[in-house]
Amino acid sequence: MTPTDTLSPLVLDGLVVGAMLFAIGLVGILARRNLIVMFLCAELMLQGISVSLVSWSRHHGDWGGHVLVILVLTVAACEAAVALVFVLQAFSRTGRLDAAAWQSLRESNLPRSIDHELPAIDTVPPRFPTLTRAGIEPAADEDRLLEREHV
Amino acid sequence: MNDLSPSTLLVLVPLLPLVAAVLTVVLGRTLGGRSFLPALAGIGGAFVVALMLLAGTAREAGLGSGDHDHAPRPVEMVTTLWQWAGVGDAQAAGDAGSSALSFSIPVALRLDPLTATLLVIITGVGLLVAIYSIGYMHGDPGEPRFFALVAAFVFSMSMLVAASNFLLVYVFWEAVGACSYLLIGFWFSKPEAAKAAKKAFLVNRVGDFGLAVATFLLWLTYGTLNFHDTSLADGTLVPGILGASRLADASAYVGGAVGTAICLLLLLAACGKSAQLPLHVWLPDAMEGPTPASSLIHAATMVTAGVYLVARTAPLFVACPGALTLVSIVGASTALVAALIGTVQNDLKRVLAYSTISQLGYMFVSLGTGSLLGFTAAIFHLVTHAFFKALLFMGAGSVMHAMGGVIDMRRFGGLRRIMPITASTFLIGALALAGVAPFAGFYSKDEILSSLHARGWADTHAEHHESAPGGDRAAGLNPFRFATISSEAPVATALDAINTPATFRLLFWMSLITAGLTAFYTFRAVFMTFTGPTRVPDEAGHHAHESPPSMTVPLVILAALSAVSGWWLFSTHSLASFLASTPSFTAPSVAATATPLAFHWDIAIQGTLAAAIGIVIAALGHLGRRSDGPQMERFLGPFETLFARRFFIDEIYSGFIVKPLELIATVAAFLDRHLIDGLVDGIARIPLGCGAVIRRAQSGLLQRYALAGVIGTLLIVLALVARAMGQ
Repeated sequence: MTPTDTLSPLVLDGLVVGAMLFAIGLVGILARRNLIVMFLCAELMLQGISVSLVSWSRHHGDWGGHVLVILVLTVAACEAAVALVFVLQAFSRTGRLDAAAWQSLRESNLPRSIDHELPAIDTVPPRFPTLTRAGIEPAADEDRLLEREHV
Repeated sequence: MNDLSPSTLLVLVPLLPLVAAVLTVVLGRTLGGRSFLPALAGIGGAFVVALMLLAGTAREAGLGSGDHDHAPRPVEMVTTLWQWAGVGDAQAAGDAGSSALSFSIPVALRLDPLTATLLVIITGVGLLVAIYSIGYMHGDPGEPRFFALVAAFVFSMSMLVAASNFLLVYVFWEAVGACSYLLIGFWFSKPEAAKAAKKAFLVNRVGDFGLAVATFLLWLTYGTLNFHDTSLADGTLVPGILGASRLADASAYVGGAVGTAICLLLLLAACGKSAQLPLHVWLPDAMEGPTPASSLIHAATMVTAGVYLVARTAPLFVACPGALTLVSIVGASTALVAALIGTVQNDLKRVLAYSTISQLGYMFVSLGTGSLLGFTAAIFHLVTHAFFKALLFMGAGSVMHAMGGVIDMRRFGGLRRIMPITASTFLIGALALAGVAPFAGFYSKDEILSSLHARGWADTHAEHHESAPGGDRAAGLNPFRFATISSEAPVATALDAINTPATFRLLFWMSLITAGLTAFYTFRAVFMTFTGPTRVPDEAGHHAHESPPSMTVPLVILAALSAVSGWWLFSTHSLASFLASTPSFTAPSVAATATPLAFHWDIAIQGTLAAAIGIVIAALGHLGRRSDGPQMERFLGPFETLFARRFFIDEIYSGFIVKPLELIATVAAFLDRHLIDGLVDGIARIPLGCGAVIRRAQSGLLQRYALAGVIGTLLIVLALVARAMGQ
């Protein structure tokens, strides 16, 4: 690829898309309370950066940006594994994916960040209307017996 | 022991007790009831060595050779152990000219007749006290500490009298003061003992201040602090303050204002250590310590350090006649005041304490006459007083031991039937103290009174000496040069106005009255304690019997010494001629006042009469009576309160010195607690305050943390962009 001096429109578009992805991801992390959504937005920020890097690489005409993108994708994958384990642990500790479930981790003289109590977890599964049984009960499936309601 | 040189022996005398003290400290707990062994061995060894030194020095001084015709030559032997301190190069001092002052402090010991005599007294009485303490301190849990302190004290005192440098004297002056503090406060859990120890130390400090400033002035005036002559590296001689080269020169001692200042400061130091007016207040309270300690340090040795100092610096004092007369005045007034206070004391040890102050006053009176007779009489009285006062204190300790700790004479009586040995030895000591012939105190007191008489009535005294056996020789020596000292002083000061015969006449009568009072209060104590119906207080229990041999044998030895030493030393003239070879006394200003030996019958009769009157009045009041009645109050009337309250000197000190100091201390404590601690606490609150503000960032909200990171990144990006745009 040949290096160019001014930004070509293709490069510029790529940069804009990358910036938009990054900005959406940033706002998402700051604004959402759901742990999985927050992680999703972090991945979004990484992808935005990757698009920008590819565009810059095209602008400079060398492969440096592309190589870095491959590195970023690898790191993002590893990070995904680690982050999801962390989210699982946080969920098993409090039973909910809300970041506000951890608001007791603050200084004792500071006010609550969410001023209302979080809704209680439904421990009782909702009862749905059932039909009367008809016909022959099928044989129990071994695999289904092992399924749990939640992880 | 012919291969032991005198210098080795001289070092051994303080070294053995020092080693004993260290051993007692290290091994005391393991030795337990036998913790007296190192101290006994150390002090005993030191005593033997001191006797050997005395014999050697006496031989050197030509004693016993019967040859009295030549003037005594100075006998001294200096041993330098090591160089302790030195400032400035010797060559540089030489280059700068003869006015450069050399500051070099060698650890040097000097042996001369005065030192030898005092070493024998210190180690001898120390040995007897150590033997006595075996019985007295038996069973006391602090016994090892006691013996360690006694050994340390003997070491310090030996070094004090042997040291040949004023700075060393100051060091050991302080050391004996520290040992005294530790011994007075031996039973420190008793509040009176702790207070008495503190009082003794603080009052001694006032004297030590005098000695320190005197040392500074001495260095400025004489260029060196050594007693003996030293030489610099390039061979120039630095004459010591009391060295042979300076003593040979009649005008080498500074008089006038500077000389008088030095002498007055030395007198202040001596007053502090020897409990003279106005620094005598610590000695009666020091009786809170164990009786052997009182016997050793407050009767025989430490309190004589002041007398030693003045005697040692005799040439300096003789060059300032005003200061010399002041020494006598201080001594005589102290003797009289202490004797008056002692007449109304009911505590046996307090009587002996005031008696000590009074007898020390006698020694100062004698020192202040400025004649060779006066100086030697003072040392003679020091020696005899050491014997009979130690004896009396040990006797009091024996009584106290038997009475279960009770020493108030109104609570017991007629003890001669229970404790015959103590009673008879105490009686001998009392006779010696009162100055009854032929006991020791009679001769020494007679010599003191005759030296005063010589100054007060110079012409009558001259006739008396010319009629004495050696009188024709006396005329050749012109013995009454001291009558003309004031006219030959290089610079006269205003203080010299008190140096008149009239002053000494007054002092003679004061001393005579004091002699009568001494006999009175001594025999009042004897009669109250040992005569009359036998009464024993309840605290005695089964203790009320004669003391064990470890306590009575020293009493007997000292009683024998009190009985014969005075007569023997006087009749053979041995002590006087021995001491005349001391370098300090061979100075022309002192030696020229030598008078031949003569027994002054008129003064002896006056002294004995005074003593007899005192004894008779005491017998009229107290002999054979029950001792618990108010006899002194009836006898003295309103004066009894004045004497019993010690002339209100303690109250004056309390009002003018102690209370203002306590006020200043309270103010300082208030400022310290509120101002300084407040400042420190305020500074400590700053990090706390900062933390309280920064703590608000820990909100627990995940998004807020992420926001903080984003803002930080934004700032960095803005900074980079701004820099890129600015370039």
